[in-house]
Amino acid sequence: MPRSDEELYRLMRKGDQDAFAELYERREPALYRYALHTSGSSIVAEEVAHEVFVQLMGAGARFDERRGSLESYLYGVARNLIRVVRRQGPVEEAIDRAVEHDILGDLISNETMAALHRALREMPDRYRDVVILCDLEERSYEDVARIIGHPIGTVRSRLHRARALLSAKLKWLNAPAEVLSR
Amino acid sequence: MNCKERTAEIVEYARRRAEPDMELRAHLATCSGCGERWEAERQLTSRFRIMRIRAEARRAPEARRESLMRDFAHRHRRAPMPAWVWALSAAAALLFAALLGHAARNRLHERAVPAIRTHGAGAQQTIFYEASTDASALSGDDDFIALPYAPPLAAGELIRVVHADLDRDVLASMGIDVDPSWESELPAEVVVGEDGLPRALRIADNTQF
Repeated sequence: MPRSDEELYRLMRKGDQDAFAELYERREPALYRYALHTSGSSIVAEEVAHEVFVQLMGAGARFDERRGSLESYLYGVARNLIRVVRRQGPVEEAIDRAVEHDILGDLISNETMAALHRALREMPDRYRDVVILCDLEERSYEDVARIIGHPIGTVRSRLHRARALLSAKLKWLNAPAEVLSR
Repeated sequence: MNCKERTAEIVEYARRRAEPDMELRAHLATCSGCGERWEAERQLTSRFRIMRIRAEARRAPEARRESLMRDFAHRHRRAPMPAWVWALSAAAALLFAALLGHAARNRLHERAVPAIRTHGAGAQQTIFYEASTDASALSGDDDFIALPYAPPLAAGELIRVVHADLDRDVLASMGIDVDPSWESELPAEVVVGEDGLPRALRIADNTQF
């Protein structure tokens, strides 16, 4: 039976490097993608995912099991770090680099994906988080409710609202995107 | 079910990339608003899918991971040092306390008159003399009473004269006859050898005998 995040955390606080490595392998990829989708920058995503774990291993880590899951805590740290980066100014590198490796580039234009990324970045945090977690990470409503600390009903209604906002923003792209639905 | 209520259904079907059931399909065929929403939701799901596929392969470079692991190892390599320091400090403190206790006990032993203290008498003052002969030499002119059964003093042995208040039991234990009706303590000077045993005593107030 796999050890829980919290158990790994307790072990890593005692200096167990294997536990830390396991925790990193388990949570870093999703945190990186979350930061990538939120910031639109792979540089920021790298930095944020790295810093989350630096903070976790540091003496200042304020994770308290009684207040929520470790996963929720990690996303919270990532979210705050991204906010700090955003306050420092726009980072425009990212998505273009991602598009270079677009394996479905024949089906969809770079412009379309860039517009979707942009629309996602411009959304309020509360909507963007549920879109990323529910639709891009394909997490269940229950998981997302636990991560963001809101009831399932709130997660569902936010997601529906977020999708409606995105659809409205991307309406002008509908014609070329129809290729995808074939 | 009205269009607003249908929206949640439309979103969930589109998210699952499932075909709508007959009832919803019939509604979509007749309601242009819901039909548009259905198309928009399907397209959004397709785009998200592409985004997800693209992002799935992406993650931080291995160098980041290695750097973190090195950092972790470095932090925790240093961590045991304070524990060792603490352990050593604690051991040193214990050793110091033990030595201090031993020294204090020796000092008390030097100062105390075990035979008298054991019997509950309070020593008040100590004067040192060098014995020229045994304790019986103290008796006579100086009013010292040699205690029966006391071991003799060695020549040159350092003796002390201890001023103490002795009760009846202490005097009796020294082999001194005391009036049984006497209750109070009596001021006395006790000659004590280097071994701490009393050898002679002089009662300051002998009206009780």
